[in-house]
Amino acid sequence: MRLIDWQLELEAFLLGDQPLPAAALRDSLLGSPVLSVEEGLAIYHNAYRARLLETLREDYPSLCHWLGDDEFERLASAYLRVHPSQHYSLRWLGARLPAFIEGYLVAEQSAPLAELARLEWAFTLAFDAPEGVPLTLEIMASLPPAEWPSLQVRLVPSVQWQVCRYNSLALWRAGKAEAEAQDFPASLALEQGEVCLIWRQGLVSRYRSLGAAETKALHGMAVDGWNFGELCVVLTAYSDAAPLQAATWLKQWISEGTLERPGSSL
Amino acid sequence: MSSATPCLGYGLGLRSTYYSEILEQHPTVDWFEIVSENYMVDGGKALYYLDAIGERYPLVMHGVSLSIGGPHPLDRDYLQRLKQLAERVQPAWISDHLCWSRGNAHQLHDLLPLPYSEESLQHVAARVRQVQDTLQRPLVLENVSSYVRTADADFSEWEFLTALSDLSGCELLLDVNNVYVSARNHDFDPWTFISALPAGRIRQLHLAGHSDYGHYLIDTHDHPISDPVWQLYQRTLRHLGPVATLLERDDHFPPLAELLVELDKARTLGAAALKAEAICA
Repeated sequence: MRLIDWQLELEAFLLGDQPLPAAALRDSLLGSPVLSVEEGLAIYHNAYRARLLETLREDYPSLCHWLGDDEFERLASAYLRVHPSQHYSLRWLGARLPAFIEGYLVAEQSAPLAELARLEWAFTLAFDAPEGVPLTLEIMASLPPAEWPSLQVRLVPSVQWQVCRYNSLALWRAGKAEAEAQDFPASLALEQGEVCLIWRQGLVSRYRSLGAAETKALHGMAVDGWNFGELCVVLTAYSDAAPLQAATWLKQWISEGTLERPGSSL
Repeated sequence: MSSATPCLGYGLGLRSTYYSEILEQHPTVDWFEIVSENYMVDGGKALYYLDAIGERYPLVMHGVSLSIGGPHPLDRDYLQRLKQLAERVQPAWISDHLCWSRGNAHQLHDLLPLPYSEESLQHVAARVRQVQDTLQRPLVLENVSSYVRTADADFSEWEFLTALSDLSGCELLLDVNNVYVSARNHDFDPWTFISALPAGRIRQLHLAGHSDYGHYLIDTHDHPISDPVWQLYQRTLRHLGPVATLLERDDHFPPLAELLVELDKARTLGAAALKAEAICA
């Protein structure tokens, strides 16, 4: 058999659900007194599955904890049948699991599950994202007062902006703590959706939920491109102490390492 | 051993479990081997520790995804990333495996053996040359553990490695445990394998543990090194002279102190095998 034909046979065998080799593959191999062809092939078949499932379990520990091992394995196996690995690094194996979940179950079941998966994947993305050039309070202290109104910022590359409509953060915390089944919170829709920011500060992964007003302010400045003066004007509609509130938030965002100046990490 | 690069001594596989202890304790390890793919990221903990540990210890890059024998074209993005990482790390050498890990359509994430045929030899040799042209250095290739072998082979595995090295100029990473595992599984004499390799092309040795399933072995890297592998290692060093030796552990991670004891055992047995106080002058 030509090399490529043999490799395609072995690839098809590994991707099959059962360790049942085609005759052409089986006949191309030699067994030994201690290891038959079937046993040898089964070692590879088992290792392929085990390695991929283990990777998904590590990337989605809360999802796995919530579903339980058996249900998670069914979900992961269905996912791998549709999305076999395309990247040389297992780091990216689970990238499409949240979207897959949305089509795998009916909407009312899939929505909270997909949201939890998306939240977990956001932590993975933040974990090894580029550092960026986070603004610091020291840098801000040296900013001339005349430049404050025109100050513009954006999110550092590790910031993941997750909109949560369910109590996914509570589920994620319970999964992280490996809570017993009876202590695991039930999935609940939130009365009002909230934004959860996930990012890396230095080497530490961080997360925080934002209130509605802060969400609007941060999105306005860091995503929509408002400068600090514009933020103050917008906030004036809600509060007499707009500049103070704007400065307080800006200080917090900078202390947390979520902002950089546009163009600073190009 | 190849004479262009001095023997590095005794190294450990760098794993994230041990990052902070390494920086805090500065253990007596001559060098660390990194898994290249773990550092092909844009930021975060892995790169931070890579740089910090790289300031204190020599590093070697060891990949698992090159798929040098695969049926697909070589992945240019992967090679570029590997080259960029090499510029950052300045490794003593770069290794991967004589295997294929990517099929025609999908990544298989395993070190799959090749048929040891003339066709495979020409296929792999051409691709090794391509990689070496990109990296501007010899590629070091490791023998893998295997659980199947093809019936219509033109070469034994050791003949194939020798011919590949001759044809392409690649160097060899001799994994003593892999030889032992494959020898047990395929019923051949491990010393026949090792003694037939071109000694001057062997850049590095690997030592690791395996799992014994009674009648066959699986290369799991989750156990201490077994006694027969230690014996084979000593015999290998007596045959080759000093060669950089690396202890690999990839699962069931013990405390760092335990791995250091195992590394010391390698030093002691290595020195005894070489009948000298130290393996590398």
